[in-house]
Amino acid sequence: MKKFFAVVKREYVQRVRSRMFILITVLGPVVISFFGVAPALIFSIKAGGPIRIAVVDQTGKLYQSVYESVVDNAGTPKSTSEQMNANALNKNANERFQQIGEQQEGSFELEEVRPEGRSLDQIKRALDQRVLAKELDGYLILPANLLQDGKPEYFGRNTGDVFTRKFLQEALSRAVRQQRLAEAHIDARIVQELSQPVQLDGMRVSAGGGGVRDSGEGFALVFGAGFIMYLTILMYGQMILGAVIEEKETRIAEILFSSVKPFTLMMGKLVGVSLVALTQLAIWGLAFAAFAVYGAGVLAARGVPLHIPNVPLVNFVYFGLFFLLGYFIYSTIYALIGSMVTTAQEGGQLSMPVVLLPLIGFYLFLPVSRSPDSSFAFWVSMFPFFSPMTMLTRIVTQTPPLWQIVLSLLLGFGTVALLTWSAARIYRVGMLMAGKKATIPEVMRWVRQA
Amino acid sequence: MSNNLPTVSIDHINKSFGDFTAVSDLSLAVYPGRVYGLLGPNGAGKTTTIRMIVNITAPDSGRIEVFGRQITAELQDRIGYLPEERGLYRKMKVGDQLKFFAALKNIDGREAGQRVDRWLARLKLTEWKNRKSSELSKGMQQKVQFITAIIHEPDLLILDEPFSGLDPVNVEILKEIILEQRAAGKTIILSTHQMELAEKICDDICLINNSRKVLEGSIREVKRAFSRNAVALRLEGGDDVLANRSLVSKIERHSDGVEVLLAAGTDAQALLQRLIAAGAKIERFEMIEPSLNNIFIEKVSEAE
Repeated sequence: MKKFFAVVKREYVQRVRSRMFILITVLGPVVISFFGVAPALIFSIKAGGPIRIAVVDQTGKLYQSVYESVVDNAGTPKSTSEQMNANALNKNANERFQQIGEQQEGSFELEEVRPEGRSLDQIKRALDQRVLAKELDGYLILPANLLQDGKPEYFGRNTGDVFTRKFLQEALSRAVRQQRLAEAHIDARIVQELSQPVQLDGMRVSAGGGGVRDSGEGFALVFGAGFIMYLTILMYGQMILGAVIEEKETRIAEILFSSVKPFTLMMGKLVGVSLVALTQLAIWGLAFAAFAVYGAGVLAARGVPLHIPNVPLVNFVYFGLFFLLGYFIYSTIYALIGSMVTTAQEGGQLSMPVVLLPLIGFYLFLPVSRSPDSSFAFWVSMFPFFSPMTMLTRIVTQTPPLWQIVLSLLLGFGTVALLTWSAARIYRVGMLMAGKKATIPEVMRWVRQA
Repeated sequence: MSNNLPTVSIDHINKSFGDFTAVSDLSLAVYPGRVYGLLGPNGAGKTTTIRMIVNITAPDSGRIEVFGRQITAELQDRIGYLPEERGLYRKMKVGDQLKFFAALKNIDGREAGQRVDRWLARLKLTEWKNRKSSELSKGMQQKVQFITAIIHEPDLLILDEPFSGLDPVNVEILKEIILEQRAAGKTIILSTHQMELAEKICDDICLINNSRKVLEGSIREVKRAFSRNAVALRLEGGDDVLANRSLVSKIERHSDGVEVLLAAGTDAQALLQRLIAAGAKIERFEMIEPSLNNIFIEKVSEAE
């Protein structure tokens, strides 16, 4: 045990003391928040002035509605109520991208072009000239039969600007719809009131009877836990890989093996690096918590009501356990890779596929949350490489029987022990074969004989 | 030899890696209070043998006993090992590093700190205690590593090429420590190519070639067995006589004269007469024991 702690202590102290660790601890949150904010900032840049569009209204009565629809709605996102209902977490990147794009559709300048006796071709030619001369960005042609089944046309310098096109299309639809309603003598306000969308409240059936309001905090937590798990694996897996390879590259392994059992050494390294990870996460967590408490205080002082997440306490225990499981499963895989290779470069190449595994677990979140009781969900939540994410999803959506949770944990931690044990054996034999890259059958033999 | 029980006894061990036989049918015994030289050309199987003694690998067959027992993890704490492949944690301070290695041998706390200071002073490294090992010269790193092998005061000290890369002053210091350990009744196993040093330090030697033992015994015995016909000469002229293969089987020139091995069937007297007859001016003519180096070369080339 003394030797084990000596290994843990060395791994921990050496890393925590390093300049790199201090730098990342301080700069990490800054970098992360930068990447969180930067896209929004970049999208909000308005390059150039307002978009100038000429409208050739051949219906003779739509221009005013179009003008209102385009100019009044520009800058305010359409159908706000829809967006507020959509859980921000459910948005995929594409939707988010569009939303940002829509927010950017800053200002439009519209002008009406009257035919004044010219033919459509003449008008078009004149407008083409102005577009090319950059007096205009584009022009719209509203055919006379637009209110029936005609198709408007947009001619622009930059038709690749999908946001503008989409926005114009919606604005035109609104204008046309309004005009049609008006012509049918229907009050637009009544229509709006009548087509107000409903809001669906999710209630969870509990044993105690009655529904418990579940507004998706559980989901948010699983998602957050999965995200942190993935980041942690990415960040510290490499560190473990480095720690295992370190003695090979510096040729210290031989001395170590004459003093410590490989398993003790491997365990010591895993635990040491994990403590480093824990330290860093704890520092960030505390900083975040302090920030959150401060922020909550400020909000409370201003009379903003606070919403406390409605998640059973036991779920937090499960989060902790499965987070640890996920972390250890993937760190031992990194350790295994480290034990097989001789240089950090080789290790980096081999670990590429490993990065993808937790990502699969991450995506399984969707099918499992849709049918948490299916046999598919059962099996993926027993499979050690995916169970941290999938079992958590099941716990939050439709808590499975306790034995399943325990079995999943046992399988997971059993896998961790097995992987560590194999890594230790491969480590020892591989070290003695220094300089030669191992083949898979060789590695299998090492595990058996060592 | 000593009447004590051997510290290390190796009984007919074999070890191969795939098709390659590293050690075949090797037996030897190492006794306390003696320095045992494990000699042999590169790739002879010395390092593999040592690794089996310190329990890094296990023999395919045969038996190794250390301190009268089958080797276990606990017994490892009584062994100090300086591997041939040198390595230290590059970014770790020398002092911390030594304390870490001491802890791996179950020595920690204040005791470890005191020992580190004592050994650093002894090897003239005190001022480097708080420097990272990457700042040290190769020789200094080697001395630091030597300390890791000896800091837990092992009963069995195994040194693989301990002198390579050291300057004469440090070689002397190391030699002194080794002899001191021997005087304290510890057992030392030394693997080296440097025959002159082995000759001066070792009590017993074992010569390994091509995975097999070719020679074993105390230095005395070994030399006596080979001392039949070596002559050291310092002379002018007589080159033709020395070049005569029927008189001299092997000649080795030094800056200070020559050493020859007489051919079978010749004796020193005959050689001397022939040299005088050839008009050579002889300053020195002495029957000597062959150097370990010559024995080594003769034995190894004999096998090929």
